[in-house]
Formats: sequence, C-alpha cells, structure tokens
Amino acid sequence: MEEKTRNKINEKKLGFWKWAIASVIFRLILIYFPKNLNLSSRPEVSTPVTSLRRRNYSLYKYIHMYVAEGYWLKQLSMSPYAGSMYHGSPLLLSVLGPLTAIKIEGQPNHLLCSLVSVLADFICALLIRAIGRILQTAHGQNLKSLGLDTMLEDIEILPSGDIAALVYLWNPFTIFTCVGYNTSPVENLFAVLSLYGASSGIVPLAAFGWVIASHLSLYPVVLVIPAILLLGYCPDMPPRKLFLQRNLQKTGDERSTKSHVQHRPLTNKPAEATFFWWRVILFFLWASIWIAYVLILSAISVKEYGGLPEMFKRTYGFILTVKDLSPNIGVLWYFFAEVFDFFRNFFLIVFHVNILFMILPLAIRLNHRPCFLAFVYLAISSMLKSYPSVGDSALYLGLMALFVNELAEMQFSFFLFCGYVGVSLLSPVMHNLWIWRGTGNANFYFATAMAYACFQIVLVVESVSAMLNHDRKIRKLCTITKG
Amino acid sequence: MAENKPKPRPIIRLGLFLISHSLLVSVVCCTAGVLALLLLPVLGKNTYISENALMPGSARPMLSNDDVYEGERFVNQILSFNTMSTGMEIPNMMAEHIMDLGGEVNHHKFLPQFNKFHPLHFFLGPDTGTVPENYSCLSYGVNTVGITRAPRGDGKEAIVLVTPYNSLKITRGEALSLGIAYALFSLLSRVTWLSKDIIWLAADSRHGEYTGVAAWLRDYHTASSGDLKHSETCAASNFPELKRMHNGFQHAGTMAAALVIKVADRSTEFEKDALTIYAEASNGQMPNLDLINIVNYLAVHGQGYRVKVEKIWSLLNAWWLKSLGHFIEMLGKLAGSLNPQWNFGIPVSEYVECTATLASSLYNQALGVPTGPHGAFRDYQVDAITMEISPKFSSSLNSRQYETLLQVGRLIEGVVRSVNNLLEKFHQSFFLYLLTSPNRFVSVGVYMIAFALLVAPLPLVAASLFSDATKSNPNTEEDKPASKPASTDQSALTFTSWKWLYAAKQVLIVHLWSAIVTLLPYFVDQIPDYSPTTKLSIWIVLSIITLLFLDSFSRSSFSSTSRSRDTEWTLLKSVTVAAAFIGLCLMSVINFATAEIGALILVPMCLTAVPMRLDDKVNTLRALIRGACNIIFIFIGFPPTVYFMLKGALDGFDNMRFGDFWNWAESLWAWNSATYIYMCMVHLPCWVLCIQTLRHRC
Repeated sequence: MEEKTRNKINEKKLGFWKWAIASVIFRLILIYFPKNLNLSSRPEVSTPVTSLRRRNYSLYKYIHMYVAEGYWLKQLSMSPYAGSMYHGSPLLLSVLGPLTAIKIEGQPNHLLCSLVSVLADFICALLIRAIGRILQTAHGQNLKSLGLDTMLEDIEILPSGDIAALVYLWNPFTIFTCVGYNTSPVENLFAVLSLYGASSGIVPLAAFGWVIASHLSLYPVVLVIPAILLLGYCPDMPPRKLFLQRNLQKTGDERSTKSHVQHRPLTNKPAEATFFWWRVILFFLWASIWIAYVLILSAISVKEYGGLPEMFKRTYGFILTVKDLSPNIGVLWYFFAEVFDFFRNFFLIVFHVNILFMILPLAIRLNHRPCFLAFVYLAISSMLKSYPSVGDSALYLGLMALFVNELAEMQFSFFLFCGYVGVSLLSPVMHNLWIWRGTGNANFYFATAMAYACFQIVLVVESVSAMLNHDRKIRKLCTITKG
Repeated sequence: MAENKPKPRPIIRLGLFLISHSLLVSVVCCTAGVLALLLLPVLGKNTYISENALMPGSARPMLSNDDVYEGERFVNQILSFNTMSTGMEIPNMMAEHIMDLGGEVNHHKFLPQFNKFHPLHFFLGPDTGTVPENYSCLSYGVNTVGITRAPRGDGKEAIVLVTPYNSLKITRGEALSLGIAYALFSLLSRVTWLSKDIIWLAADSRHGEYTGVAAWLRDYHTASSGDLKHSETCAASNFPELKRMHNGFQHAGTMAAALVIKVADRSTEFEKDALTIYAEASNGQMPNLDLINIVNYLAVHGQGYRVKVEKIWSLLNAWWLKSLGHFIEMLGKLAGSLNPQWNFGIPVSEYVECTATLASSLYNQALGVPTGPHGAFRDYQVDAITMEISPKFSSSLNSRQYETLLQVGRLIEGVVRSVNNLLEKFHQSFFLYLLTSPNRFVSVGVYMIAFALLVAPLPLVAASLFSDATKSNPNTEEDKPASKPASTDQSALTFTSWKWLYAAKQVLIVHLWSAIVTLLPYFVDQIPDYSPTTKLSIWIVLSIITLLFLDSFSRSSFSSTSRSRDTEWTLLKSVTVAAAFIGLCLMSVINFATAEIGALILVPMCLTAVPMRLDDKVNTLRALIRGACNIIFIFIGFPPTVYFMLKGALDGFDNMRFGDFWNWAESLWAWNSATYIYMCMVHLPCWVLCIQTLRHRC
C-alpha cells in the first residue's frame, strides 16, 4: 500500500508544482491591478489588526489603520501607537514598515509588501504539504501496527498534503487576503510553522512559531495544547486504546498462560503510546527563551514610547476589549455597538471565555489527533475572535484539507460549500447596500455575518463528528480482524 | 423510548417531507409565485406621508404675481435669442439675473463621458472619472449653478432644483422650465423661512440630460473644480467670464432632495394638466417614497393636476388581463358578500391600469437604466425625481404661459417648503417598492412573497436530487463482486459525500466561461467600424469557441474516473440548481425586479431539465411532455430570444433587427447596469448547464 501511495504522490507531484507556481503567478498578476479590485478596503479582507493600509471612501468614516502610519509615526520619533491607528507588534513594524515606504520606480508602491505576502503564502503551503506528508506516513505506520494495512490495500488514499497545500493556495479567501495588502498571510505562516515544528519534532521551531504567532495575533496561543500533544505523543493516529488492545491481544497470544499483561516489554508497544515529557519540557524551555527574546526586542523598540505595558495595552488590549466597532465579518462588532456600556465588561468576559470553555473538552476528546485539534481550535477562534477576516478561514480550510481521507464521509459538505459561496458573495452586496446605496442598514450586513458564523459552526460540528465516526470505523475493523 | 431510533425533530421531519415531495411542492410553489405576481396590483396599499416633519400643504403658497411676471420676462428674454453660436448666451444671462437676485453663481464646464466598461463599477462606488484628451473647446457643456444661502440654516444642507436645457437649441418647454426655476429662485432668495440652501442647477443637455447633471454631481462630491483645468487654454477666447462672478466651484451643504423640472412640448389628451413622475434610478433604485408622496399630494390637492407614472400601454388592451381582472373582481365581490371586511376586489379597469403601471415599474427597474437626470443623484444617496409637466393643449402653451408658471411654481414651492422642514435625511418611508399608480404602491414585504415562492423549489429540488444521488451510490457499489468481506463496509471510504465535487468543477468552469463572456464585449467594442450585427456575431462566435476550448481543457486535465453515469447528471443538475438559487437570491438583493423577471424564465428551465436520452428510453406521454417543455424553456431561455420576445411584446415585431441585441447590451453596460452582469454570469451559465444536462449520455 505504501508503495502505491508513494507512486500516487509521485504522480501528483508534478501536478502540485505546476498548480502551485500557477497560483503564485496568478497572485502576481492580481497584485498589478490593486486599484480595480480595491480589496484592501473591504471589511471582509482587512481588519484593524491586520490591515497594512486600510482605505475607506465611505460616508461612515471608519478609523483608518495604517502599518504605514505606525511606521511614519515612529520615523517622527513618536509612539507608533499614538494615533490609535496601529495595533500590531512593534517587531512587525520594524520589518514591514520600511517595505511600505520603499518605492520602486515605475511600480506600484505596495509591491514589496505584497511580494512578502505571496512568499508567506507559498512557504505556508509548502509547510502544510510537509505536515501532510508526516501525517500520511504516520497514518500508514499506525495502520500497520494495528494490522489493518493488508485490508486497506485496495482503497485509494489521496495525497492529503498536496491537496491541502493546493486548497490553501487556490482558496479564493487566501488569494484575496494575499492581494488585499495585509498581515494575515504572515500570521498564518507562523501558526503553520509552529504546527510543522511540532509534528516533525523540531522543538525550537515549534516554540518559535508558537511564540511569534501568539505575539502577532494573540489567538494562536491556544495552539499550545496541540503542540504539546504533538510533541508528547506523535502525529495523528487512531485512538490509543486500540493499540493497547492490540498489544494486549498480541501478548495474550504469545504468552497465553501468563497474565502479566501490564508488564509487557516496551519493544512490543508502539512508540507512539508513550508520552515524551522531556520534549514538552524542552518546548516550554524554548518557548520561554523565545518569549524573553521577543519581549526584549519589543521593549527596546518601544522603550521611548511607554514601554511594554503600553504595547500590551495597545495590541492585546485592543484585541481583547474590542475597541474598534467598524463592521467586519464577525459577530462581535454589532453586539458591542448595541450593548449598554454598563454590561460591556461582562459580555467581553463571556465572549472570550467562550473560546476558552471549548479548549479542555475538545482536548480530552481529540487528544489522539492533535493536528485535527489544532484545526478545530483555529476554526473556533476565527469564529469568535474580535476582528476576524477571511484570512483566518483560509488557514483553517487549508488545514481541514489535510484530513481528506478521514473526512471522506463528512455530511452536509455540499450544503456547506454552497453556504460559503453564497455568504461570501452576499456579504459585499449587503455592505454595498448599507454603505453606498443607503437602502439597507447594518442589520443586512450583520445578517450575513451571522449566517457565516452558523456555517462555520456547522462545519466544525460536522467535521468533528466525521472524524469520530472514522475512529469508530477503525475500531470496528480492528474487532473484525481480531475475530 | 430509548430503544427506538430517535425521531428527528419536527422541523427536520418537515424538511424531509418537503424534499421527498419536491415535484409537487415545486409545481405548487411556482404556480403560487406567478399568481402572487399577478395579484400584486390588488395587494397594493394607498400611499401615506410617513414623515411627520414634512407637513405638506400646511402653509399658503407665497409665490406672487410679481415673481411670475419676472419669470415670464425671463422666458421671453431666453426665447428672444435667435442664434446661439457658442452656447454661452443663456448661461451668461442667467448668471447676471442670479447675481441681481443676490445669489452666488458659477459656471461648471464639463466634457461628455464616454461609454466605459466597468463591470464591477456597481460594487466600488462612484469614481472620479477621467477626461479624454483632444477635445475642441466647443464641445464643453456649461452648467450654470446658482446658490441662495438660507437665512436660518447653517449651510450644511441643500435642496437642488434642476432644469435641463439645450444651450445650443432651446425649446419652448425648456425655456418655460427655466422660467419656473427663475421665478422660484427669486422668491426663495427673499423668504425668511428657508433653513436649507437652494441650489439651482441649469444643466446643459447638449450631451444628453443625464451627462451634465452627473458631471456636476461628480465634481461636487469629489471636490474637484470640474474640467476647468483642461479648458484653460481655450477659456480665454471662448468663455468671457463675467467680472463679478465667482471663479471657483461653489458648494452648499449635503443634498436633502433634488427635483428635476421639465415642461413637455407636447400636450396631453386629458382635460387637466398632467404631471408625470419619473423615479427609477440606476439598478432599480428608487427615491424615498415620501418624496413621491408629497409631490403627488401637493399636485393633486393643491394645484389640481392629474398625476401619472409610466405604464405599458400595450397591456391596457390585453384580453387576458381583462378577463383576469373580471375574475378577480368577481372573486372580490364574492368574498365581500361573505364577509364585508374581505373587500379586496378592485374594478376591472383599475386592475388593468395598475397592472400596466406595475409592469412598467418592474421593467424600468429591471433594466437598471435611469429614466431621467434624477438617476445621477441616487448614486450619491440623494433622493430625486423628475417632474414632467404637460399642459392641456399645445396650442395654448403660449397663452397659458403665465398660468403654467404660477401653478408649477406654487407646486414646487410647496415641495421645497416640505423638504425644508425635514430634520434628517429621508428615511421614514420605503426605499424598496413598486408603484402601481401614483398613490398606490407595493412594498418590499409584499412583493418579496411572489419571488420567494418562485425560488423556494430550487433548494428543495437541489437537496432532493443530491440525496437521490448519494443514496443510489452504495447500491451500485454493492453490485460489484466483493473480494473481501470487509470491502463492502470499507467501500464507503471512496468519498461518496464528496462526489459532487466533479459536478461543482463543471459548474465552476461554465461560470468561469461566463465571466469571460461578460468581458468579451469590451474587446469586441475596440474594433471600429463594424455594424452591431457583426459585433454581435463576433461576440457569439468567440463565446462558443472559448466554451469549447474550456470544455476540452477540463476534460483533458481532470480525466474522469469510472463513475456511474446516472448519478452524474443528477449531481450536475443539483449543483446547477443550487448555483441558480444563489445567483437569483444575490440578484434579488441588488435589483429585485431583474431577479423577479429572471426567476420567471430561469426557474422552470432549471427545474424541468432532464437528459433527453432518459426520456427517449421511457417513451411515455409524461416523458414526451417533459421533453417538449425542456426544448421550449431552453429556447425561451436564451438571452437574445428573451430580449426579442420582450421587445416584440412591447413595440411589435416590425423593424426588428439582429443587431438590436448588441445595442441593448451595450447600453446596459454603458449604464453600469447590474442586469448585464446577471444576464451574463447567472442566466447564461445556467442556460448552458441546462443544455449540458439535456445532452447528457446515460
């Protein structure tokens, strides 16, 4: 079977590079027509936190956000946070800031930043592909150790890594985000980097990706749990109980007279079933090193402008307190525009705890599939985060494609597809109706945001239940082969 | 309870029930949708003035005889210009007069905009526009803008009066409308109650009535000084500026409302003076209903006008409409005799008249082309209408000049006074409505029902086809000899729930093709000196070539695996129907009228499509009828056929040419109508996909 899959992967490889390069070229073409598309001013693509330059010609003047503005403020030796425009990391400012200012003769002035986005997207896709490879080999090994490999020979297994990478690259959401001149591709890159590091067992890389991703956009902080699980155990596999049963059976066969099953020699046990504490401790060690490093660099760069407390207030504080209520595809802006100030703090806590509530139950239920767990966490946080954009959806949809083989029997896939297409077309129209034509109102736009949230919920619920069904099926097969 | 398989919730059971009876449901829903559309005239409500602050007719008109004499003298002075070489005589005279009244004045020069192809213009909002090079000085249009500042206002709001006239060849009607505006302006520059500035825009209509107004609005809102800078070279020779006049672009506040005043040169056949209201702006947008209401109220009750809105005359004599009207009247009487409160019936003549008006309202909104210069205002969220006054007898236009000036002046004074009372923008009344007569309307809540009924079968049919396709799959797989006992169990792993991806790919490719077809006219139009017929032929041929090319490309790059062919077409149809549903819903938000008319054609076509070979095999009467229906619907569904049939129904089938369709499509995209995008990117791909379903081998 492995040979067969390898052949298939080799077959697909050519296709992969062809399509990947085509997607890069497509992006480069789109970058040359930014004025016609004007994507960077769309609320679906740009949020106050991610926008490099957000322009709005609307009658309802939103607050304009500029990374460029933050950079210029800094050039004028003022705090980059002074104008309440910039809410990103100071490190990002020192890297991307100069790029927003450099102009190449005869080229559009956003070119360099857009090229960074394209590069980030491409690397991200390659990392997703590598994760897919790792998952696939792990999958093969696991089936072998369960004794199911001979049975599944005639079943077509798709090269999930290639598919996921291509889904990520050709997803319209990713393309719009990439062309839309904002920092989402970079943030996504670091989130994927941490997953890649964790799944391939490179502890420093995992810690680095996690620290930077959390530093940039806060929400990837929940990825710490999948990362620990990935490092502690190994990449995704069927429930560990099955391996135990299997071993139980094997040892039972070998020494049918003896009953010291709990003292089995370690060699019989698959390596995955143990929890590598030392790797987790190493991860935290590295993470603290990276955190210290990032904090020191940040402290140096914002030294004159109020130091780290100011930075925390202006970045994480801005994300957590939902200060900016300009419309986006999330549900929080409308709610907090309506809610009485008196209750504001209470609801802020409620909404944020909502994400935290789901972490533990999901971690317990899906602890044998850390990569899938990461997908679920990212999907949930992109649904409930304060300034969501389609870039977040692009990331979790790309990760979801890693599990094509497992999710083969997912229900409502067609319904969800139609829903995503419908909502992503309807949302700009409703925005136009509200802002430009004045015949609609905020409720029109918010209705699409709610529909979008509903579709995301259905997607998460259905994919999790499909995954659990898949595990059940493997268990059933195990019992069949046993009998 | 726990032993039984848990029953799904009632709402899911209802959904499953509807899906399993989708054929019946779709027939019932479609019929109900068409009937609801025909019942709309009966369901129309009388208009009422929703905003309390308007208070129309609460004050006595102040327009005095002196003002009217002034206006009359102004008209005569304009008409005394015999030859107009530069077109600057009237603007200069107007500027003099306005300055004598104490108003501010400036000239605004503009160039005609060319038909530009902006397929996505609709979503991006107004742009600043570009000025073509190489223009002779004579081709500049000159708008004259007079502003009187409100004594009680803060200069933040304004009311606009627009009088389009041709500066090269002025007609009597245009002169009269200028006179009316002048009389009003002289009154309004004196009154003390004014709290909004008055802008009088005498728009030069030498390049069309719309162009001048649109150019002025564009420069007003983008704060540029117009095309003046481009005319600097020839300004000195051709435009002797008046010394006292302000040179820059004069601004007042944001516009609360705009009234376009026109006097028709032809007369009406009725014994009363008539006032025709045009309200449709681009993409079926309408001004707030309150604006139409106050004009209607003041015209009918104040000045005794007969107020009209456009109607489709050919429908007035349609026999089927009359018999339907008889039927509805009878039904209404019957219902009224049973319970006097159910008195919904309306007389036949009224029903026919309302239907003709409603049809015209639907048609004009669906076309997405503004019906007058007022359309330019709606792009900037300003409510505006055109009022066209046609006097009783044409011969007496001369003798009744004074009377007309007084009546229309007082009417507009009343409207201005009402709008002047407004504290906020128009927001109280409806924006989304269809007019069935000047004082009756159908609001969005009512007309949505007809559309919702019409499209409701689409998701149901898509779901039922989809579930059919996924259900039938395991059966076909079980037929295969199972080599291993577990393989039947495992065969489900072959992505049954993702089978639709192949169909989705096909639909996606056709939609991609439709995007190319949408953009093709832009390139075809670059070819000069071809007749519309040739251009249309080139367009069609290029479209077919790209379709064939894309089709072969998709076949080669994604080689189809061995799939069961019966389920393939059901999936294809399911995805097509879903795409049609999304497209129609989207269009109903953008332009309801287009979606309604489109649904009438698209829904039956999508629902009946079944492979012809399937019908061939069965060879029953039902299959025969279905096949015939399919062919008829496909024939009707081709966009040019729809156009020619509509045109034939409206204007008769004489002197119709093949190239007309090209001209029509060109006018649609020149006006940035969303209808063009709908036609090319929703209707056309669904039509092609239906043909593909029909041609499917199974």
